[in-house]
Amino acid sequence: MILKISKLKTHFSTPDGLVRAVDTIDLSIRERETVGLIGETGCGKTVLGLTITRLLQSSTTVKGTIIYKETNLLKISETEMRRIRGDEIAMILQNPTTSLNPVMRVGEQIAEVIRLHQGLNKKDAAEKAIKMLGSVRIPSPSQRANEYPHEFSGGMKQRVMIAMGLACNPSLIIADEPTKGLDVTIKSQIIKLLKEVTKEKAMLLITHDLSVARALCDRIALMYAGELVECAPAGEIFDAPRHPYTRGFLGSLPRNGLVPIPGMSPSLINLPQGCRFHPRCANAKAICKRKHPGMTEIEDGHFVRCFDA
Amino acid sequence: MLEVTELTKYFSSGLIRKQYQRAVDGVSFTIKNGETLGLVGESGCGKTTVGRLILRLTKPTDGTVLFDGIDLFALNRRELLAIRPRIQMIFQDPDSSLNPRMKIGTSIAEPLKLHGTIPEVKRKQRIKELIETVGLNPEHINRYPYQLSGGQNQRVVLARILALNPDLIIADEPTSSLDVSVQAQILNLMRDLQKEFNHTYLFISHDLDVVRIMADRIAVMYLGRLIEIGETRDIYDHAKHPYTQALLSAAAVDGKTEQNVLEGETSSPLDTPTGCRFNTRCPYREEICAIKEPELVEVGRDHYVACHIA
Repeated sequence: MILKISKLKTHFSTPDGLVRAVDTIDLSIRERETVGLIGETGCGKTVLGLTITRLLQSSTTVKGTIIYKETNLLKISETEMRRIRGDEIAMILQNPTTSLNPVMRVGEQIAEVIRLHQGLNKKDAAEKAIKMLGSVRIPSPSQRANEYPHEFSGGMKQRVMIAMGLACNPSLIIADEPTKGLDVTIKSQIIKLLKEVTKEKAMLLITHDLSVARALCDRIALMYAGELVECAPAGEIFDAPRHPYTRGFLGSLPRNGLVPIPGMSPSLINLPQGCRFHPRCANAKAICKRKHPGMTEIEDGHFVRCFDA
Repeated sequence: MLEVTELTKYFSSGLIRKQYQRAVDGVSFTIKNGETLGLVGESGCGKTTVGRLILRLTKPTDGTVLFDGIDLFALNRRELLAIRPRIQMIFQDPDSSLNPRMKIGTSIAEPLKLHGTIPEVKRKQRIKELIETVGLNPEHINRYPYQLSGGQNQRVVLARILALNPDLIIADEPTSSLDVSVQAQILNLMRDLQKEFNHTYLFISHDLDVVRIMADRIAVMYLGRLIEIGETRDIYDHAKHPYTQALLSAAAVDGKTEQNVLEGETSSPLDTPTGCRFNTRCPYREEICAIKEPELVEVGRDHYVACHIA
């Protein structure tokens, strides 16, 4: 087990009330495993990624434990965390255009990470940066390293982000919507690349795009309104989904018949009583309105949060 | 209904050494009454420009567009304004298509007021009808766009469009900013409205899965050129152009089948390759492809492809 998250809560207090973005989540990732975290806008999936890397504002309330290789990430100092970030856990963010520094050459941006984390001198770091650009299949890397982000296309920028994430050889990668905003043919290039470079690494892939998850993940967890509702091996999620939300999500895809889930996701400030999905669920029973279901293991390694599963 | 012939738009840039960006280059297609034509392609292929040209939101370089027999490019300002209600456009981002400081009801009243189709006394009643047609509640009339979700705002946009009773609706990626479960709601609504009001759609999208269920026929664009057009089933089952095949393969990710991943990226429209524009990325490239630009050729019933090899 490389990462073990238990009873994690991330709450923000706002003038409108308490936002329970991540609400009691248990999730673990094994060595060399890719876990997909799937959910729709505002379900809390990005916040979970930011909580693991401790990139949230200090005013946020975080409870529970995040054990990374025996260290509780929530207990260590900021200095120690800074070493783990990049060195051990790397984050590939969505929207590479705003994640790269527009006035700094691409090679230097990667070299900076290498210098800070691995203590290489300027020249060696620059050489390693070029090597990294080559490893993400950027043509003529030594020339491209001297260019600025605006000279790169969207797909190429995403490759740079991946190179930067991999620069210090981390064991765990958290990729947040790594293919968002890319054209379909470029998207398949990035999926192929991620598949190759993460073979020896563990990855948490955060996305709303099931086709990306299907191509990359060993296990998939579905998140709805701040909590996990189903977690199972990827094949089982697609072939035998058990939670009504998972079924609805799959059914609303154009290729599966375009059957929408009625209504919309609840606000994280004002969550429904009982099961959080019951107002949109076709099979909701009396108990669903009263009692909040727990995660139950219905088959080996297949967890569902539903009274009916 | 709509007949587009040799539609061309070059954008020029540079003062001394002028460069021309051939955004749309000799595109021709027709859409029949009540039909949906899906216009597919990746970013920068010119699909949005085609939509804007038909609406005359940008000036064409060349070509003609006949709408119900009327030459849209020959109309003067007044005539154009008179015909606009019949051709409407839905944009990508519903939140920025609505005035943030206008209540939903006022937003929907705006087109009714401008085109004076309905007397003022009946306007309130009509707004209520429209709101209900698109599946919102009358209580939404007094809200602001920021109080609604993206999906609800896209419904408001649809209500505004319906207010004018259009014949042709140009939908430019209407659901690309929405979650899948909400996307399904909006697409279903658009299909129901089409059936009810006999709308003709030009449905512009990069999402092949969405186009497949929305469109009767599909046109594929690459770097300003139309490279394949045909009935939806023919395109999906018997795509002839290597680019269409690659697009379909890229969309069909299931983790099992080996994908046909295209190398390289789309060339810049400022510097389009000679010959077939796709030849730099094409896995089946032959000598002629770099020399001669292929024309659209009929390869089946109503199925046209621009490729030397297909």
